[in-house]
Amino acid sequence: MSRTRHGEPRQRRRPPQHVASRLLAGSVLTVFVVFFVLPVVWLLLAATKTDQQLVHDNPLSFGSWHALTANWHALTAFQDDAILVWLRNSAVYAAISLVITLCLAIPAGYALAMTEFRGRRALLIATLVVMLMPNATLVVPLFLEINAVHLIGTMWSIILPYSFYPFGVYLTYIYFTTAVPKDLLAAARMDGCSEFGVFRHVALPLATPVIALVGFFSFVANWTNYFLPYVMLPESDQMPVQVGVGSLLSNVPSFNPTVGALAIQRPQLALATLVAITPVLVVFLFAQRFLVSGMLAGATKE
Amino acid sequence: MTLTPSSAGSVRGRPRGTSRQSRAGVAFVAGYVLLLVAFGVLPTCYAIYFAFTNAGGAFTGFSNFVTTAQDFRFVDSLGHVALYLVFWLLSLVVFVVVLALLLHKLSSGPVSQALRFLYYVPGALAGAASVLVWLFMLDPTVSPVSSLLETLGFHTFGEVIAPGNLALLFTIIAFWTGAGGWIVVMYGALNNIPKDVMEAARIDGANGWQTAWRVQIPMLRKWIVYMVILAFAGGAQLFVEPQLLSLASTGVAGRDYSLNQLTYDFAFQMNNINGAAAVSVELLVVSVSVAGVFVARSGFFDAD
Amino acid sequence: MSVYKPSAAQETGTSRRRAALLAGCAATVLFTVTACGSGGGTTGTTTKDGFAQAAQNDGALTVWVDATRMDAAKQYQALHPGVKMDIVSYDGDANGSNYLQTKVQLFNRTGKGWPDVVFSSQNNEASWAVDAGFAAPLNKGLIPDATLGGFAKGANDVCTVDGTMYCLRNDLSQAVLWYNAPLLKKFGYTVPTTWEEYQALGEKVAKEHPGYLVGDAGDSFTPEIYLWASKCGANHITGPKSVSVNTTSEACTKMAKLLDVLIKDKSMSISGVFSTDFAKNEADKVLLMPGPAWYGGAVFKDGLKTPAKQIAVAPIPQWQGDTSPSTGNVGGGTWLLSKHSTHIKAATDFLKWVTTDNAYQGEKAPGFPAYAPAAENWLKAQAASGYFAGDLTALKDASSQVWSDWGSGQFSQEAIWAATVKPGLTQGKTIESLLPGWQDSIAKYAKADGYKVSQ
Repeated sequence: MSRTRHGEPRQRRRPPQHVASRLLAGSVLTVFVVFFVLPVVWLLLAATKTDQQLVHDNPLSFGSWHALTANWHALTAFQDDAILVWLRNSAVYAAISLVITLCLAIPAGYALAMTEFRGRRALLIATLVVMLMPNATLVVPLFLEINAVHLIGTMWSIILPYSFYPFGVYLTYIYFTTAVPKDLLAAARMDGCSEFGVFRHVALPLATPVIALVGFFSFVANWTNYFLPYVMLPESDQMPVQVGVGSLLSNVPSFNPTVGALAIQRPQLALATLVAITPVLVVFLFAQRFLVSGMLAGATKE
Repeated sequence: MTLTPSSAGSVRGRPRGTSRQSRAGVAFVAGYVLLLVAFGVLPTCYAIYFAFTNAGGAFTGFSNFVTTAQDFRFVDSLGHVALYLVFWLLSLVVFVVVLALLLHKLSSGPVSQALRFLYYVPGALAGAASVLVWLFMLDPTVSPVSSLLETLGFHTFGEVIAPGNLALLFTIIAFWTGAGGWIVVMYGALNNIPKDVMEAARIDGANGWQTAWRVQIPMLRKWIVYMVILAFAGGAQLFVEPQLLSLASTGVAGRDYSLNQLTYDFAFQMNNINGAAAVSVELLVVSVSVAGVFVARSGFFDAD
Repeated sequence: MSVYKPSAAQETGTSRRRAALLAGCAATVLFTVTACGSGGGTTGTTTKDGFAQAAQNDGALTVWVDATRMDAAKQYQALHPGVKMDIVSYDGDANGSNYLQTKVQLFNRTGKGWPDVVFSSQNNEASWAVDAGFAAPLNKGLIPDATLGGFAKGANDVCTVDGTMYCLRNDLSQAVLWYNAPLLKKFGYTVPTTWEEYQALGEKVAKEHPGYLVGDAGDSFTPEIYLWASKCGANHITGPKSVSVNTTSEACTKMAKLLDVLIKDKSMSISGVFSTDFAKNEADKVLLMPGPAWYGGAVFKDGLKTPAKQIAVAPIPQWQGDTSPSTGNVGGGTWLLSKHSTHIKAATDFLKWVTTDNAYQGEKAPGFPAYAPAAENWLKAQAASGYFAGDLTALKDASSQVWSDWGSGQFSQEAIWAATVKPGLTQGKTIESLLPGWQDSIAKYAKADGYKVSQ
């Protein structure tokens, strides 16, 4: 793969304007970095403080390693390592549904974009419509359906609804319609490839970035989903980490004044939050490597 | 291999190819269709059925729609959502596209990559996880940006979350969590634009802004349309942001702010799933209409 | 390939598809609905203890508790190893999460899944749980009258609908007057016994020791401390679905005026005791603080970190000339027993133990027990802990003095106050001027929840 962009001579005819526009661009990017990152930095530091320090110290000061470990111990003490159970649950739910999502959404998005079949438009419309439907009223029908097939109380009661990921189907659809020329597939068909062969040997290799994108967004959506598991799962040891963080929140005195001696302090909640989002960030860093590389492949293979 | 997008590949062997493709297409979507029906179409139809019936299952016409519209919170929340939508859509479309273009122009690998990561980080902080963050960010007593808040004339948390500021606050919170993901998507889409197209623009003497305006943004059309459709629906269904501010402020700001909060109230506090369904259907109709306009005008469904 | 618009034939095909899709899903909905209708499973019920009981079996007793009450359930399990228990932790319906109600609605549709016994940190669960057919009547045979008689006077009012008791109170949150004993002594003041004295003292503190506080009016439960104690008829639940609201009577306005004066003098804070503002700037400025029983632990000891041997408790002031002492109440949890339980015996045993037994309520419970004999024991344990200055008899006295004409409806009074009065207060308006708007808002919310409102 040739990444020619770096070596290219850039416009050098109007240097002053060029410098000014670069400066402007740089400062816009920087302002937004501060906007996006500052609260996260605060959260990182919050986890290293005691509740007293959180209120009295400089918001962007570091507490102490001692406080950090104390917070960790307090956090894991909450219902005997409950947070580890929540993390494991989240990982299982998000991973299994991720696999199912990829297996179903990528071929579907591909077919919607690259093949003509009866009902294609209806499918596109139906997908869009259900994606736009507010969730509040879907919970009851979902619960009844899951109950009808006797899956209440099992992990499938949330994995299966998670696996339905219309957003990913559309991402794939748009990717193929905008980035992969149909002639490429036609050529492969001429060479005697079956339809599946075309998908497997031509489309899939070109689709790496969108697979990474769909996979990542599906993982995040499942990892951060709160309401479905909250309503669907009957046992506390089945809860994913989002619901767990929610229940920690309801044990913080400032949000729920009447909690007793078992109160969770705000720095512990901050730490729980950080633990809860770490997997998402790791997956992002992993997925990001595929986002760029594959996208260029299509255009440079000629 | 020739790859000019407009080459006439459709002349060859149309009938046989189409039927083979048609069968394959159906096979490719079959698994997804199963889930779509089970977890999308069926629940949605069920909700629509709820909207037109009462608790006993008897058909009631539009009475659920009328009753819910007469709720004393309905008109207010409608206004709130409309105002929020203006802020939200404008900020999202403008900033996401601009930031993606800038990141793409920056193009020096590691910096751009690091920035995209940093922009994305808040995206992981969904729901309950960010209550604490916003409680502290918006409280001048303990906020890292307290000097900024003081400059704007806010001295207490109560002043920051005054009713008049809410639409803007929710936009900031939603943008903070939601924009990063879209920036990644747009950035990826920009990478899809073939080199030769960009090169042609450059040879024609177009500068950076002209290239962006005449070449890149038109080629992002489908992605932007998709984003607007979803952002509109998401904004119309505003729920998480007011809910979390309501938690952070122990109910002072953000309760009963949006229509979607009202649906949750109907469904789970007032035991009126039928009323909730009616409001949901209204939101759905509005979102679908907006989507319809954009889809029709952008050729979104054309497999070109 | 599809540069051209799809042909008319294709279009018709699509719309036929769509019609088929619609028909298909309509059929499925009908199927599902009928399937659910028959899923009630009401066979084999016997009417006993005032309700139709399901056929009993000896499966595991399912108990839902919040994190704080987890200890109670675990302790019961340890003391009764023979009882099969499934202990589930949930948010206790805190912050108006409506979790219990949401789940019960779903279980009612599927006809199974209800927990046997539930703890809720809210005391208004009976207002919906009776309609939903979830809460079992407790005073029709399940819990002996002797036990029910042991609860503090009025403690179970929030559980009573039309004379039938549908839940048991876990803890009381009667309001008292907390004060910093050494500080009060140092300033040379005495504890006020009337609201008139209280106001005078507040004005004096503002002049002599500016910065010090005689109270806080910035929390969502502020009306439950001050206006309830002042017998303001803002929330008089007169029947299962009827409420009388009058926030502009003298009982309300005189308390509002008192608060307004002290707020203006700045000896009454409007930050809220759990705000960061309060913790940062006012934590060591508390001289007096009217507040519920749980302030002792949650606010002073854990929140503001006030050192031991400073905080003492006195009765909440009364208006001059009032003959019967009255106070307010802020929260307090309840326990419910499911009508659908198939282990009613085990459920009842647990319910009785958890609300009355000294082993938990008398020794371990964090809140003031609603069951009076356990409360005696609890007070001894608190006194022995050595945190408070002086004795805690004021708490015990207040437990039976909660004014009974402030009810516990389905709508949240705290949420209404927070949303309608608090923003105005922040903008510098007086509470008195906000009272009519408050009444209006209560009436609207009550009506939305199906209450008949008289004003």
